[in-house]
Amino acid sequence: MPGPYKRKKYHFGDTHLKKRWRTKRRTKDLDEIDHDINHKAEPLLNQEIDVDRPGNAQFYCLHCARYFISEEAMKDHFRTKVHKRRLKALELEPYSIEESERAAGMGSYIAPKKRKMQTQPLKSEESTAKRSDDDGDDIMDDLNKDSK
Amino acid sequence: MRIENCYFCSSRIYPGHGIQFVRNDCKVFKFCRPKCHAAFKKKKNPRKVKWTKAYRKTVGKELAIDPVFEFEKRRDQPLKYDRELWQKTVEAMKRIEGIRQRRQGVYVMQRLRKARELERDSDVKEVQRNMELIKSPAAGLKERKAMEESIVEVTHESDNEMELDEEDRQELVEV
Repeated sequence: MPGPYKRKKYHFGDTHLKKRWRTKRRTKDLDEIDHDINHKAEPLLNQEIDVDRPGNAQFYCLHCARYFISEEAMKDHFRTKVHKRRLKALELEPYSIEESERAAGMGSYIAPKKRKMQTQPLKSEESTAKRSDDDGDDIMDDLNKDSK
Repeated sequence: MRIENCYFCSSRIYPGHGIQFVRNDCKVFKFCRPKCHAAFKKKKNPRKVKWTKAYRKTVGKELAIDPVFEFEKRRDQPLKYDRELWQKTVEAMKRIEGIRQRRQGVYVMQRLRKARELERDSDVKEVQRNMELIKSPAAGLKERKAMEESIVEVTHESDNEMELDEEDRQELVEV
């Protein structure tokens, strides 16, 4: 007995996977992020208002290289697995072209070092900390020093 | 012309082979074959992929730290052709390669020898842990029980003798 034709597609191919690897959608590599952390942390965390970026580029996660729309969203992101995994991945020094050459026999192969990775402090927390510092203690200390 | 190294597996790339990727910060990544290129695109970590040189050196499968590795360098100054220098260089390269291979062989053999020891230890442990498979714990149980009983009887008898002796002594003392 002839039934209805099979309408369901079972094979989806791998274009949806390959799309992620295209250079168009390329995200920052771990060694780039490592460079950011060591040399460009200050300008990246305190960016000027850019209307084209999410949240006007005011909420940037340094380790994940991502913009968030609000401080709340960023706070939620810090609690996610994605962020924690990224911190863990950055604990070891990232692989580089120089390391690939050392592995090939150009110079001794030095094992990568481990270091501590910490989530950046939120802007509001930073400002409150500053305010608590600037509540007049410093001035009083200075005055005391002067008097001595 | 230069023999380059693959970014992912650190193998050699001869002229006319492989593909290269220039990142938007001007760093050039060279790959020996599509396998390595695809792994890079998937952001795999070469230190964790078992078929790469970086893995073998981080895990200690191959000789990693040795002065032999200090000869091969990227030299960007062009040199004027000198026949004698050329011949000497080729000779030195051969000798260094020979030394490297010998040291690497020694290193690997030492590693394997250690594995033999560990293997033996683990074998001994396994036998001790699974002794019941070789010899049943019930084997000779009856005989052992019989032996124990006989020993107990003997000790009882000796105890009685001792008591008697003591009574005798007391009697003697009284007398």
